[in-house]
Amino acid sequence: MSKGVLVNLTKCIGCGGCTVACKMYNNNKWIDKRAPASGENAQLADENWTIIKKFKLYKNGNTQVWRFVKNQCLHCQSPSCVSACFAKALQKKDNGAVVYFPDNCVGCRYCMLACPFKIPKFEWNKAMPVITKCVMCYGRMKENKAPACVSVCPESVMKFGDRDELLEEAKVIIKNNSMYVKHIYGEEEAGGTSWIYISDVPFEKIGFNTNVVKKPLPIYTSLYMKCTPIFGAIWVIVLTAFYFITKRRNVIKNESCELSYKKSVDECADNKLSQEANTVKSDDVFVNAGQKKRRK
Amino acid sequence: MISESSSNSNDKNSNLSEPTKIDGGANDDSDTFNGGADSSELSRRIFLKLAGVGIAAGVAGGCDSTFGGLKPSGGEGWLPAQYNVSGDFPVQVRGRIPIDPQNPSITRDNQKCILCGQCVEVCSKVEAVMHNYELPIIDDIPCICCGQCTLWCPTGAITEVDDSDLLMQAIENPDLHVVVQTAPSTRVALGEEFGLSVGTNVEAYQVSALKQLGFDKIFDTNFSADLTIMEEGTELVKRVKGEKKAPLPQLTSCCPGWVKYCEYFYPDLVPNLSSAKSPMTMMGAMIKTYYAKKSNIDPKKIFSVAIMPCTAKKFEAIRPEMNHSGIKNNDPSIRDIDLVLTTRELAKLIKRKGLDFLNLPPAKYDSLLSEYSGAGVIFGATGGVMEAAVRTAYHLLAGDPPKFLFNLEPVRGLAGVKEAKLNIPNVGGIKIAVVSGMHNTHKVLERVRENKSDWHFIEFMACPGGCISGGGQPRSAVPPSDSVRTARINALYSADEKATIRLSYENHEIKAIYKDYLGEPNGELAHELLHTHYGDRSKNLTAKNKKGSNKEK
Ligand code: SF4
Ligand code: SF4
Ligand code: SF4
Repeated sequence: MSKGVLVNLTKCIGCGGCTVACKMYNNNKWIDKRAPASGENAQLADENWTIIKKFKLYKNGNTQVWRFVKNQCLHCQSPSCVSACFAKALQKKDNGAVVYFPDNCVGCRYCMLACPFKIPKFEWNKAMPVITKCVMCYGRMKENKAPACVSVCPESVMKFGDRDELLEEAKVIIKNNSMYVKHIYGEEEAGGTSWIYISDVPFEKIGFNTNVVKKPLPIYTSLYMKCTPIFGAIWVIVLTAFYFITKRRNVIKNESCELSYKKSVDECADNKLSQEANTVKSDDVFVNAGQKKRRK
Repeated sequence: MISESSSNSNDKNSNLSEPTKIDGGANDDSDTFNGGADSSELSRRIFLKLAGVGIAAGVAGGCDSTFGGLKPSGGEGWLPAQYNVSGDFPVQVRGRIPIDPQNPSITRDNQKCILCGQCVEVCSKVEAVMHNYELPIIDDIPCICCGQCTLWCPTGAITEVDDSDLLMQAIENPDLHVVVQTAPSTRVALGEEFGLSVGTNVEAYQVSALKQLGFDKIFDTNFSADLTIMEEGTELVKRVKGEKKAPLPQLTSCCPGWVKYCEYFYPDLVPNLSSAKSPMTMMGAMIKTYYAKKSNIDPKKIFSVAIMPCTAKKFEAIRPEMNHSGIKNNDPSIRDIDLVLTTRELAKLIKRKGLDFLNLPPAKYDSLLSEYSGAGVIFGATGGVMEAAVRTAYHLLAGDPPKFLFNLEPVRGLAGVKEAKLNIPNVGGIKIAVVSGMHNTHKVLERVRENKSDWHFIEFMACPGGCISGGGQPRSAVPPSDSVRTARINALYSADEKATIRLSYENHEIKAIYKDYLGEPNGELAHELLHTHYGDRSKNLTAKNKKGSNKEK
């Protein structure tokens, strides 16, 4: 069953507790000088998987209001980052989470380009950088616990549950209360997201990308990215075939050598030598760099 | 031969062990892969083969976490136990309070916050601020600046906004004449920072330390507490007698946390607030007018500092209204108070300067604005303002107060709401109430709102127990305990008992200031300098409806 989170932005008081929870649970550093986790200058970053961004705006004409917006990965139903990732470092799980496996990551950063919400970040400051992003506290979800940020919120801004049920709940809320904007962000954006938002101020005024297409985005990338595994498979087959062909050729040579009693032993030995030389040559093509290093 | 060697090459083990052994060691010729190869060639092959196997397995297995134990990112840290429950059971104590970065009183180091939820507990349940307004918020993060959260936060993540560097800059500035005042409560708590038992009165050492820190003049807020009593007591009498057109009950206004609370949650009762300023701001106004005149100092050159048990005083000091001395001096930019430091900040400064606090030579406050009566001392305890005011009000209405007014038991002690009725000759019954801890306000104020009360005067203090347990006091128990509160309160009452003068109107310097400068209590000049008005913050917040919650009281 696909889980989701309903974020009711009208309830957020901007305490930033969720950003603390995320850092505590995921052991992320505070980098407030470079990128604050909350406030008007809050910014998603490699160490900031979630932020609370403050907006000052006018509602109904001239009443100034403050609104706080929680940002993190929206965990798309059909995530473009996942389809962009040929290394399978990003995977969409059955429970809805888009999870990242750093050990698989080759660092190509295609996911960063693919994500319509600019969520994946790269650890530019590290010697061995990987991608980072909110993983919906996959570890907690597996134990039927709500994500860290959801659990700690003192105002119950976020509700964790079955995405379909939350969507129904959101519809009821915005239908029965005229305060709300008649739109559920994430219902259809990018083909639907696991995290969905309701608000009393227009989404475009509080930093949401309202131009994102409603169709699932991966349609665009998946056509060719889907082929990556097939290419991988073909590659293996081709190399194996090469190997057998070379080997068989040599074996045949050797066999003929053994069969022909008339040929001298020396000739046979020569044959073997040249065959070794061949192997080295063909190896050179592949491990040129490695070999050079080793020979130094 | 062919089949044998091919199966051999597909066997991972063959890569890692000696090929000659597998092949029986005899048939070197047949092993095209390994036969006769030197060790460097061996590794190259292993590399290629492993890479091939890796790709193949990766593609086949989808690189799932089930394969090779891949670990997803995240989850390497921890969360407090209350959050680690499965399912959607409610977590009672959770989250933390919001703090505006612009908050003049309190601040928080995010890195130290562990989301224990204690600040939410005290803010919502003791001070009735958080969770007591409707969402969405409007354009303010409601906070009454009381600083109780700084006393409850177990990790010390929440602290007062530290202004001690600003103070040192002022002291080091040769152009500035730096004057300081100290609140009644700091002297019975400061010693705790230096290992003395809770409730030790260190008045003389505190003065001495302030001298060593380089202040030019040291005055006592106890004096202006007496001044407040003169003004507030007179105002009460005038309201009771109908001479002042203002509603009853009169509500005290010396606690800035309470005043802000009233502006947020009971804007309709703001007219009930006494117009008399708090002792701190009265003192501020006197320093830059009366004292400046007497000592012939340009008020612009005076830097007025207050050492307070309270973080809300930092907020009060920057309230736009608090520039009466400026208006009097024809320069509205002059503030009554320039800087407020908490007791904790003073202790930190003393430690930073390396002063041997316990061995300082005892010293006395400077004269002019420092003499105090016992009534001024007890301002720091819940019920103290009431007791002090009643002594003077009795005097104003009916002459010398009787003995029991010097130990007004019903308004002493830590109960959140206390009540008393006094029979004053010629006037009749006067009903008073005392409230500390803002969650107790509703019990009293909903009745006032509904016009169902017969109180004449109600004292409010935001902090439970009063200023002695204010948000700027030493953290001698976390969260503050009643035993700490009681010890400090007893220290104040014993100072009152020992005082030779126990009535504000008998204070010689008070008499002098009215004679030489102010004229009459509630007179024209007194009004100009010592009284103010408060505002309405209800447009910044939607208070939750409290009606019905305390009907029976
Ligand atoms: S779900 Fe977990 S990882 Fe994602 S923002 Fe919330 S706390 Fe951080
Ligand atoms: S913890 Fe809740 S109220 Fe606090 S900032 Fe996060 S979403 Fe808003
Ligand atoms: S009391 Fe301190 S540590 Fe606990 S939640 Fe509040 S700020 Fe964080």
